[in-house]
Amino acid sequence: MNNAIELTHVTWKASKSFELRDISLRVPVGSIYGFLGPNGSGKTTTIRLFMGMMKPDSGGISVLGRPVPRDMKPILARVGYVPERPHVYPALTVGEQVKFHSSFYKLWDKGWATELMGRLHLDPGQKISRMSKGETGKLLILLALSQRPDLLVLDEPTDGLDPVVRRDVLSAILDYVSEVSATVFISSHLVHELERICDWVGVLDGGRLVAEMPMQQFKNGIKRIRVADAPEVPDNVPFTLLSRSQDNGTGSIETWVVRGWEPPMRHYFDGVGATVRDIIDLDLEEGFVELLRSSRPQHTNGS
Amino acid sequence: MYQPMLFLHWKQIRMVLALLVVASFGLPLLAVEGLGTPPGLDAGSLEAYRLVLASQTWAVFFPVLAAAIGIILGLSAWNWDHQLNHIYPLSLPLTRWEYTMLKMGAGVTLALLPVVGMWIGAHLATAFLTLPAGLNAYPNELTIRFLFAIVFFYGLMFAMAAGTIKTTIWVMGTFVGLVLFALLGNDLLANYYDFFVRVNVVDLFFEWMVEAPGPFQVITGSWSLIDV
Repeated sequence: MNNAIELTHVTWKASKSFELRDISLRVPVGSIYGFLGPNGSGKTTTIRLFMGMMKPDSGGISVLGRPVPRDMKPILARVGYVPERPHVYPALTVGEQVKFHSSFYKLWDKGWATELMGRLHLDPGQKISRMSKGETGKLLILLALSQRPDLLVLDEPTDGLDPVVRRDVLSAILDYVSEVSATVFISSHLVHELERICDWVGVLDGGRLVAEMPMQQFKNGIKRIRVADAPEVPDNVPFTLLSRSQDNGTGSIETWVVRGWEPPMRHYFDGVGATVRDIIDLDLEEGFVELLRSSRPQHTNGS
Repeated sequence: MYQPMLFLHWKQIRMVLALLVVASFGLPLLAVEGLGTPPGLDAGSLEAYRLVLASQTWAVFFPVLAAAIGIILGLSAWNWDHQLNHIYPLSLPLTRWEYTMLKMGAGVTLALLPVVGMWIGAHLATAFLTLPAGLNAYPNELTIRFLFAIVFFYGLMFAMAAGTIKTTIWVMGTFVGLVLFALLGNDLLANYYDFFVRVNVVDLFFEWMVEAPGPFQVITGSWSLIDV
């Protein structure tokens, strides 16, 4: 098994206005995979599909080497899941919820759960309905990690949490991953958060997977290049041209946003009679925005 | 896994269930309150008549209470899961059938509490009652009927509440549609076919529902604690 999660040509249609189209996604075993996408792009739907909560219209899904949804029981025994919105019973106390949850998992680590409860400052006697969003988020992380899962699926786990809680939550996840070689699939629209911790990234937009690559490649390969005398129709470019625009008031100078850039590619411009004036590194968020802009139909963004 | 599921349902319904247990315990006592042969008097035929009449008057409340318990337990079984869009149960390492059966079993176990209350109440109510010749007390029979009625209504409501509101409306709509069809269809068809003049489809439908082996048979029949 090379991939902890594998989706092959998965489609799922909710309505005329939203569908997942031909999603093929691979999450390597042992990776921390960041699943990026704007709100409403289909991240949660994709997660629910490979968690067996919904059936795809077509395509194949496997998780931890087993087919979904046929083998969901053994799969879920090895998956820690933190959903987008709290899914635990509000009338229970933290201690009751932990006890309830633990009864379904053979590998439940009671000692680790107790340690996490102290570390995350959770009170076992506190009623869940009276907890803040941050406290509930920490409880969900505790439940997921104490199962000792091989795969952690986190759907916007830190959305709406304050920076201190966010740091606690991410640190607990990273500690677990460093101790156990688990795979983590983490969806978020908070690009900077994923930049720090992920080694793979997939970008979803409008129900389509528009990019999937190692994080390093994603971070390093997206550049903004200012080009003088750029060719009107660029042919045989060695990189992916995401967007091009005329600089205001500079006549022949254009700004290109490219993906897959490497320094020797500079010679391409010499070959077509253009001059590279400037090469600017984009951070992940800028790269993400440019990627989305380039993947969308031109009439929607006006460029 | 069963024990936590039982705890979950108990935690949700414990206050209401406590009231239902008290009601189940108290109903048989209320049914015989002030009855029986006063000390020093012979239990005559008038007294027997009064006992049976009172018992039959109260009898209507037993199936009503059983239905209320079954419906409340059935609705509460899925209430929390509906509120949370069923995400939590779907993320547990259980098949949907296993989860459903655990939940069903927990509800049936909780249903035993009012049944035990009824059994104790019915025995207490009849223990100190001197019955006239020809009359008997039926505390065990009444309790068993009470249990079956609760389980029937619980099962019915559990199944309906398990689905979405759309499913529940669909099931209820089908039932109402059948009744309406039986009501209107019989009159309409009676204009054309003698058979429908001689046989009333509505009556047949309700007979089928309430007589053996109809699904509602459990609520008909004798619910009297004291009978001949």
